[in-house]
Amino acid sequence: MSTPDITPEELAAWADGELTGERGDAIAAAVEADPALQAKIDAHRALKSKLSAHFAPIAEEPVPDHLAALLQTPAPAAANDQIETPEGSATIVNFAEAKEKRTMPRWGWIAGPALAATLALAVFLPGGGTSDPVGPNPYADTQLASVLDSQLVADQGAGMDTRILLSFQNEGGEFCRAYSAGETGGIACRDDNGWRMEATGDGVDGGNTEFRMAGAAEIMAAAQEMAAGDALDAEAEEAAREAGWR
Amino acid sequence: MTLDQSFQQQVLTLLPRLRRFAVGLAGNPADGDDLCQITIERALLNQDKWQDGTRLDSWMYRIMRNCWIDETRSRSRRSETFVAEDAGMSVGGEGAQEATVELSNVDRAMQKLPEDQREAVLLVMVEGYAYKEAAEIVGCPVGTLNSRLVRGRDALMEMLEDAA
Repeated sequence: MSTPDITPEELAAWADGELTGERGDAIAAAVEADPALQAKIDAHRALKSKLSAHFAPIAEEPVPDHLAALLQTPAPAAANDQIETPEGSATIVNFAEAKEKRTMPRWGWIAGPALAATLALAVFLPGGGTSDPVGPNPYADTQLASVLDSQLVADQGAGMDTRILLSFQNEGGEFCRAYSAGETGGIACRDDNGWRMEATGDGVDGGNTEFRMAGAAEIMAAAQEMAAGDALDAEAEEAAREAGWR
Repeated sequence: MTLDQSFQQQVLTLLPRLRRFAVGLAGNPADGDDLCQITIERALLNQDKWQDGTRLDSWMYRIMRNCWIDETRSRSRRSETFVAEDAGMSVGGEGAQEATVELSNVDRAMQKLPEDQREAVLLVMVEGYAYKEAAEIVGCPVGTLNSRLVRGRDALMEMLEDAA
């Protein structure tokens, strides 16, 4: 039997058991007679096993608690409640967590993985809490300031102790930079006096991915609330540095 | 109440599979779990639209792929100044190892597929849906699904061969 009349679509469908009947029988006979066709069927099935083997472990993992919790709240009326009082008590889910998680894709696209991989931050916003976590001096020390002044996201290497995660402008037009330094990190904005610390965090370099992710989401949420627009791209960042971040 | 509980219970049962689909679509576990959360929230808000007795799994998969399409659309709008996906989803310059999500060859190849091919491949070759079911989830004719699958499959084979 000649092969050109069997389309790749038909062959795949046959390999997937989707093509039966007369046409299926014809293809079966053709495959039997033609090692080249047989090889294609084998390749198709090999790819299928490779893909299912690759993704299978995800379905075997325990579901993250925060996802399961969404479905474990007895909340028949929750949907309505949430529409009427979006800021009300979290009947479906802890609202902060939902918000935090929802903000992840935006910043997570670029900075989330970095944060998630390196540190967890408990972010304290000045004025937002009872303590004064930033300390008596609200400005970055010399060493940090020098990094904030000079280092560009685009050309920092893997070995650097302090890494800039992203730069953005706040609503006052000041340049701000989120950074991580080993187990700590924060956000600083440049004003007349120097780099004013807007948020600092203690890293918890634990093995718990969920905590790390929560920390990452928090600093990203903090940056997002401060930012007046998107993060600076490499060019804008360089221009800002040339201008002394002012 | 019991109905709602059973709806939630059923979604919970599907959740491991939904997560697998989400991670496949999004390309990494962090974004995949966000996608899961958004999907669950949308499903809970719309649960009165699900007809008891129809297949909940197809319904949930459909919501998830729609959520993902929404997300990719808004991403492409807002990510123009951000690092391109091809840069390895990394913050920083070359060599910023710790900032790069570790991607296997399979993940990398999957991420290079156009969305429509990737979802076809995932639904049929990973989730094990029949073409007809997958086409219903995606909302396209079976023939279209079949040809997306073949194009996606061929592209994957080529990329994975190159990588080997």
